[in-house]
Amino acid sequence: MSELHWRSMAELGRMVATKEVSPVEVVRAHLDRVAALDAKLKSFITVCGDQALEAARAAEAELVVGRSAGPLHGVPYGPKDLYNTKGVRTTGGSKILADFVPAEDATVVSRLRAAGLIMLGKLNMHEFAYGPEGLNAHYGDARNPWDATAHRVAGGSSSGSGVAVAAGLCPGALGSDTGGSIRIPASLCGISGIKPTYGRVSRAGVLPLAWSMDHAGPMARTVRDLALMLGAMAGYDAADPTTSVLPVPDYAAALTGGVKGLRVGLLRAHFNDVAAPEVRAAVDAAAKQLEQAGAVVDEVNLAEVVHVAAASFAIVATEALAYHAEWMRTRSADYQPDVRDRLKMGALVSGVQYVRAQQVRQLVRREVDAALARRDVLLAPATPIPAPVLGEKATQLGDGTSDVRSALIRFTRPFNLSGHPACSVPCGFTAAGLPIGMQLVGRPFDEATVLRAGDAYQRLTDWHARRPVLA
Amino acid sequence: MLPPMEISLDTLKRLTRLGGFDWTDAELEAIRPTLERALDLLARLEALPLAEVEPAMQYRVL
Repeated sequence: MSELHWRSMAELGRMVATKEVSPVEVVRAHLDRVAALDAKLKSFITVCGDQALEAARAAEAELVVGRSAGPLHGVPYGPKDLYNTKGVRTTGGSKILADFVPAEDATVVSRLRAAGLIMLGKLNMHEFAYGPEGLNAHYGDARNPWDATAHRVAGGSSSGSGVAVAAGLCPGALGSDTGGSIRIPASLCGISGIKPTYGRVSRAGVLPLAWSMDHAGPMARTVRDLALMLGAMAGYDAADPTTSVLPVPDYAAALTGGVKGLRVGLLRAHFNDVAAPEVRAAVDAAAKQLEQAGAVVDEVNLAEVVHVAAASFAIVATEALAYHAEWMRTRSADYQPDVRDRLKMGALVSGVQYVRAQQVRQLVRREVDAALARRDVLLAPATPIPAPVLGEKATQLGDGTSDVRSALIRFTRPFNLSGHPACSVPCGFTAAGLPIGMQLVGRPFDEATVLRAGDAYQRLTDWHARRPVLA
Repeated sequence: MLPPMEISLDTLKRLTRLGGFDWTDAELEAIRPTLERALDLLARLEALPLAEVEPAMQYRVL
């Protein structure tokens, strides 16, 4: 595959560094792709063509005088439209913030710029990040690129990030993940995405959904690209008191390609056992492939996850309404209906229930820690189902009928509650040609092992190298 | 164990107004079925042995 828009970020960075291609050519190739396809895909809310080309010319000039900001110098990307971007509107996918132009960049945006990345534009999302389908009544529903006939959801809330990367409109993106909003669109769109440990990446300048559950992280087509982006983003930030002072390892250097001796716990009850049959088979097959490559695979159950839905609801609904309270008092008609209804429910959760949920959170965290005490990573589907058709309300899981929204977030949000790092990686396709994703969950601040396992799996398989057919 | 939360329309109105939200009856009725399910799940947490469990703080001072 020689087209620039299908090159990985690592490849583009290498091609730019060796002057095989200029940053201007790379940016132009992606902007052309956006112009050709995004009217249908709706992955961008704002395209920053002129600024991106100007930044590309500046990146090229730096190279001419022998200066490079690193392995991603001159490589384009797109942040979800809840990252503050100086001088560029940051809507949160909302009508309420349609004209909000931040005076400063989010810390992560600033760090990626310092690492030489070039912002192509701002990516679509579920309004205010409050929904796993990735729907947006104000800027249009991002369309999953893997079905040319039916409009399937991209997954959310980072829907634009998932679609833009999967369709070759940008090679990497920023998402945010409160209940699965990086891993769900990664799974449904056939790309990779990592929710780092809570505290690993700054959320300063990122519009919050629920402060204690929000995580910022990268999305890309390969795990190697995730490692490069995460390395540029992670680390202590005085502007975000939740960030850790632990040093940031060289994630790319951790990608040894080997999994010999890696202890993998396959999550069975409440996870793989209740997934749709094709998803279950794909994750079982992935476990076998890792085992054949030298990993030691056993099965493990997390009993406390049965309480995750209640605890997550109490925490997210309460924190989200606390942030949105003033607008919900004065501008509730400006929210899209599903988000408005979810926000309203935050007013009906009591203080006791909120604290009870935080106690349950402790139980879940302890249980995940215990499961990882004798294992390096846990393995589970990222989503129990592939991308549903827009408007689909219910789906059948192994333990009964579920509404689609609950199904989409069921396997991901336990690790928002626990704070553990989790990475979604493509692990197969359904007979209908829809991507299937699996997630690898690691110990706190051990993103390196999670990424090593994901990268090793991608060296064994080619699911991540498949491309949707786009007109 | 706390009794299940009473969620008549009148209760919804009182609670939301206490928070300064002046939503219409129709707006509150729209969320009632989902809210009832969510509150039922929350009520089940009261049966868990949590007396010795300190609420989680996500701040890992590392």
